[in-house]
Amino acid sequence: MDALMILAQEGAGLSGNIGSGLAAIGYGLGAIGPGIGVGIVAGNAVQAMARQPEVAGMLRTNMFIGMALSEALALIGFVVFFLAG
Amino acid sequence: MDVILAFSCNPTEQPLCIPESILELFELPVLFGSVNRTMVYIFLAAIIVMAVLFFAYRKPRLVPTKFGLAVESIVDFVRKDIAVGVIGPGGEKYGPYLLALFLFILVGNFFGLTPFINFPIGSRMAIPAFLALVTYVVFVFAGFKKQGIAYLGHTLWPPGVPVALKPLIGVIELVSIFIVRPFSLAVRLFANLVAGHTMIALLLGSGVYFIYAASIGEISAIKGFVVGPLWFIFGMAIFLLEILVLALQAYIFTLLSAVYIESSLHPAH
Repeated sequence: MDALMILAQEGAGLSGNIGSGLAAIGYGLGAIGPGIGVGIVAGNAVQAMARQPEVAGMLRTNMFIGMALSEALALIGFVVFFLAG
Repeated sequence: MDVILAFSCNPTEQPLCIPESILELFELPVLFGSVNRTMVYIFLAAIIVMAVLFFAYRKPRLVPTKFGLAVESIVDFVRKDIAVGVIGPGGEKYGPYLLALFLFILVGNFFGLTPFINFPIGSRMAIPAFLALVTYVVFVFAGFKKQGIAYLGHTLWPPGVPVALKPLIGVIELVSIFIVRPFSLAVRLFANLVAGHTMIALLLGSGVYFIYAASIGEISAIKGFVVGPLWFIFGMAIFLLEILVLALQAYIFTLLSAVYIESSLHPAH
């Protein structure tokens, strides 16, 4: 916990407000899951396109939908960052 | 959010000037009356979209001009790939709405990269929020029109849900469909525009700052005149990436609108 507070103080940087440092850390943590999710979606979509290039158009549409949906948590994190920071 | 921001305070005292409050990034000076830049650009975007469509289709001809062909390919893309491709037969009805949405967001986004405008209109939360609200009304209305009051039941409880799980699933679906959907639709556009624009401003601003600091003798000339242009090059690379991101976000907003309309028209999946 102490390490986290030190990191938050460093992250707060010039403004010196520890809340914005913590908000930045929170957003960073919140972005881990969606990052992994988007990676899985895109990776599997590329794999599917390589196996069956003839349905690439449909797969691309579905890939964007899946990526957009799994991004939602990161977006909530972004808003929380703005509210807290 | 201009590079000018970096010069509004004294750079010899502070290494990088940051605004007092995050809200300063979202406030704009009033131009005249109660009109600010956002409103001017909204009307500009609407006029550009209308003018492009008007001049492309003013005189329908057998062999279209190059401009007409380009606009036609965009219209065809939205209608065939998004409206009919996602919603299925019957999706042509939503084609004009999706086309208007796509072109308005696209033009509004590219304002962010246009020199001397440099302001993506979607980076004011009110605009994506309102567009998402319109989509929300459209897909809820489409659902009620197609299925009547059964739309609520079909939406909240997908077929085959055990009775014991119905309260839980109902709450989850209620939140995810009627609250998270429009919210994430709006925030996605907003966040991408703000993040991309801030990144460009930060990188180009760093370039200006390094060169400026070297020119007043704050840092050594070698450091300033080598590192500064590198920041500019990096900023320009991100600028190219932003072209892709902005077009993609307009596409994704339209695509998700179509997906939401489809999900309220055909519930049994």
